[in-house]
Amino acid sequence: MAKRVKFKLNGTELEADEGRLVIDAAKDAGVEIPHYCYHPALGNPGNCRMCVVEVAGAPKPLVSCRTGVREGMDVKSNSDAIKRAQASALELHLVNHPLDCPVCDQSGECGLQDYYMKIGKYQSQVREDKQHKGKRIEAGPHVMLDQERCILCTRCTRFVDNVTKTGELGIFGRGHEERIEVTPGMTLDNAYSGNVVDICPVGALTDRDFRYKVRVWYLDKTDSVCPGCSRGCSISVHTNTIRPWHNDGKRVARLKPRLNPEVNGYWICDDGRYGFGNLDADRLGRVLQVSPAKKDVSWETAAQAIAEKFKDGVAIATSGMLSNEDWASLKNAFPKASLYFTAEPDQVGVEDELLRKRDKVPNLKGAENLGLKSGSFNDLEKDLEAGKIKNLYVIERDLTKVWGAERAKALLRKAEFTVFQGPNKGELGDFCHYRLPATAYVEEEGHFTNFAGVVQHYKKALDPIGSARPDWEIFDLLHMAMKGVPA
Amino acid sequence: MTKILTKHFDEPKLHELETYKRLDGYKGLAKALTMTPADVTAEVLKSNLRGLGGAGFPTGAKWGTVPPPDKVPGPRYVVVNADESEPGCYKDRVLLTRAPHQLIEGLLIASHAIGAKESFIFVRGEYQNQYDIVEKALKEADDAGLTKTCSIKLMRGAGAYISGLDTALLETMEGKKAWPRQPPPFPTVAGLMAKPTVVNNVETLSMLPFILREGGEAFAKIGSPKNGGTVVFSVSGHVEKEGIYEVPMGSKLRDVLELAGGVRKGHKLKAVIPGGTSMPPLLEKDLDLTLDFDAIRAAGTFLGAGGMIVLDETADAVEVAHNIERFLTHESCGQCTPCREGSFWSEEILERILDGKGTAEDMPNLTRMGENITGKVICALGDTVGVIARTWQQKFPEDFKKRIPHGQAS
Amino acid sequence: MSAKTAVKSPFSPEQEKALEGWTKAYPYSNMGLVEALRSVQDWNRMISPEAAARVGEIFGLPFNRVWGVVNFFPTFTIKPTGKFRVGLCHGLSCFLKGSDKMESCLEKTLGVKKKEVTPDGKFSWEPMECLGACEQAPALQVNDRLQGAATEQLIAKLKDLK
Repeated sequence: MAKRVKFKLNGTELEADEGRLVIDAAKDAGVEIPHYCYHPALGNPGNCRMCVVEVAGAPKPLVSCRTGVREGMDVKSNSDAIKRAQASALELHLVNHPLDCPVCDQSGECGLQDYYMKIGKYQSQVREDKQHKGKRIEAGPHVMLDQERCILCTRCTRFVDNVTKTGELGIFGRGHEERIEVTPGMTLDNAYSGNVVDICPVGALTDRDFRYKVRVWYLDKTDSVCPGCSRGCSISVHTNTIRPWHNDGKRVARLKPRLNPEVNGYWICDDGRYGFGNLDADRLGRVLQVSPAKKDVSWETAAQAIAEKFKDGVAIATSGMLSNEDWASLKNAFPKASLYFTAEPDQVGVEDELLRKRDKVPNLKGAENLGLKSGSFNDLEKDLEAGKIKNLYVIERDLTKVWGAERAKALLRKAEFTVFQGPNKGELGDFCHYRLPATAYVEEEGHFTNFAGVVQHYKKALDPIGSARPDWEIFDLLHMAMKGVPA
Repeated sequence: MTKILTKHFDEPKLHELETYKRLDGYKGLAKALTMTPADVTAEVLKSNLRGLGGAGFPTGAKWGTVPPPDKVPGPRYVVVNADESEPGCYKDRVLLTRAPHQLIEGLLIASHAIGAKESFIFVRGEYQNQYDIVEKALKEADDAGLTKTCSIKLMRGAGAYISGLDTALLETMEGKKAWPRQPPPFPTVAGLMAKPTVVNNVETLSMLPFILREGGEAFAKIGSPKNGGTVVFSVSGHVEKEGIYEVPMGSKLRDVLELAGGVRKGHKLKAVIPGGTSMPPLLEKDLDLTLDFDAIRAAGTFLGAGGMIVLDETADAVEVAHNIERFLTHESCGQCTPCREGSFWSEEILERILDGKGTAEDMPNLTRMGENITGKVICALGDTVGVIARTWQQKFPEDFKKRIPHGQAS
Repeated sequence: MSAKTAVKSPFSPEQEKALEGWTKAYPYSNMGLVEALRSVQDWNRMISPEAAARVGEIFGLPFNRVWGVVNFFPTFTIKPTGKFRVGLCHGLSCFLKGSDKMESCLEKTLGVKKKEVTPDGKFSWEPMECLGACEQAPALQVNDRLQGAATEQLIAKLKDLK
């Protein structure tokens, strides 16, 4: 147990664990000390010199990211001397920094801009030409490097050396000839490469996917959970609805990780980070009777027709994409249905020591916790082939990935009555009798339970498309229809 | 005048073991080995020996911060910093060339004092001739069984002035870039490969044989209060007789200048840099200052490693400042932003002034920037960037003003 | 330290042995890295990424760490130097004694600009920081060995080097 000690910050008496970094202890007390190079998950090299504070008894200012709290310490982070020190440290960061703001994606969330407005606001004294370095370097499939903007804080090199241990970036050179470069012969293509964009305080490392799409000050940010695997990393969904003419009208602009010490720390993997393409493409919004004739119907009409069939039994092919609320409603509505939702064969992938889990769906645990058991898709295939399946209900599962497109189409024709439900149309969108539009996770509220049993809440970031409803709402509707309750 | 290190420099074969032994060589080590490590350290503390590589820290006090072997068991090391790279300093080169055994003896004494069984001599890469000489002397010492208490290994550097800073030296020795560390912990607690390590300069260690032979008190008597023994100045620049000159601590600046034959004939003294280009210059009026760490500090500059550069009236302060800032920019490790950017910016401003394109804001800007950098960087090189930006224009404003139309000091 | 190679080593068997030796020269294998890289620079007059990568394998160090060291220290070059790498000090004392003028003398005598290599690969010259020979200003060295004060005569004699 760490000892609690008393110390003073800007005249206020505070308490902290002995040895806690002053910069963190200050943050605990609501005092933000400017900094670039320090990152709680990447260490404290103390090379940006922004976080200097005055400590009574010390001959010169100390960097608060490398100073631990001691009993009776008297710290000042807002004296005139420190304000001058902060402004001058910032000035020296900006001396060779290119005035790229009008074309730089970081604009609006840039450490240099933010601190300049907070503690700078001085007149530049630079009369020289700025140093020219590499620009628009494709560091990897997801990351663009601009060496002129780089402030050499070393966060990115520490990330690839200590977190992913892949060493694709390095600092080469000495003094003002130093550059952050891609290590010769390599490309920044590890499974977590996008994280360097998050940790880069400036626009030196930017996201190629997000490049020039939309200005960050138009983005709304919603807490959510990544549905890419059973880790369920905490994320923030950044959406643009204010400027629909940007980003080709796509609403989801990007995903960013959200700090969660219990689940994913500060990071997410690239698959999760860039796996949001299906949220704004090929979306379903109409409740459709597809067969025998394609026509728009109301939810009630569809529910009635479906309930008539499903009353006699149904095989349900779904996945761990369903939320805890969805599973509960599904169980409630179809207690006797044969369920097929295992991640095999198509929803499994690489697992690593960092974040990625083998099951590429967020919530198989939710089903497990409710005692639901899944058959194998091999068995479902056999049963369909043998004509044993009358009614088939496919929810948020792309059967072309399970069986291959042609085989899936052939098998679907073997069932008597098929209902499709999901946010995207996909290749099999017309191979059913009724097609029900479901909301994507960003358009609803719910909970996922990750592989370790951690329940996480995801919030609604966008309005549903067309008539789409959350899966659980649709299950409830069908349940009521099957009980004969008027819709 | 008392000489300690250069006492036998008229003996051409001083670098050979036989000659060195004949002239009281290795008697200090023999004495030390009859004493406990703590007693050796106490003797060195008594001697008031100060670190002669630049910092002037009392050597005995530094050794005293090494945790004792029963508290921290395991290897501990002594590293000789022979990475002399401060412009103006070459006394270590001469000491390595002429008296390698004096250094080896001193190193073995230090190793005994802190309990090191392995020690290293880190020679700057550009001293290949000196490396060969020391290697030969080391072989003589090994063959004579003198290194049985502590083995000594040689290692070469690969350039870079910053690797002469103690923590950066350790980084280089560990096969990394010479980026200075930020103590705590200090090297004596966690140094080479995180083991307790004492890093000492060539000249400092070379003083130890005398201290152990004649006693710490005798050493302290030669010199001034708190600054024991002698100090070797590397004199260069606009003097008649460039060369190394060993004088007691507390000698007058004027005396050293005289030993070097004074300012070259027909010229007038403009400035003297006492300790290597990182240190602010002294003027004609300062010639009666006493040369020891404390007195020179009080006069606003530093004794450093005794690299005394003499400048006459043909030297131009702007050119000098530019030369030094260019050196600092080139040698900055780049780790921290103020030094990396500030050194380059200072060099550019001074270059612009040299090109005749200076503006009225340049001098106040250099001063302001200098004040902002010194004290807010990771190591002394960064501090120096700020010092140089300020002092040469403070001391010689006319040199700057005449190049800058409407220029003014701040 | 392990010496697994996926690709053919850019070094001869004797050179490989010498590099392995440096992993054992000091109490910790990493301590031999700078000396090992000095050897590579001596053999090849430069250090290529392939050579640095192989050194990394021999020492069990990631490539970007070794490449960082190669690009930090002035002794190591990523472009070739001449067989005889001439260094002229331009520190303060040497500057005061006219090192600038000796630069033009070097350029004229050797026939190349600074940091360029003569067509026969024999010579290159460059300004260097303080070589610790201020009493012999302006100091001149060849391949890390001090030659003395640079004069027209000393520079002329350089051409006799074999």
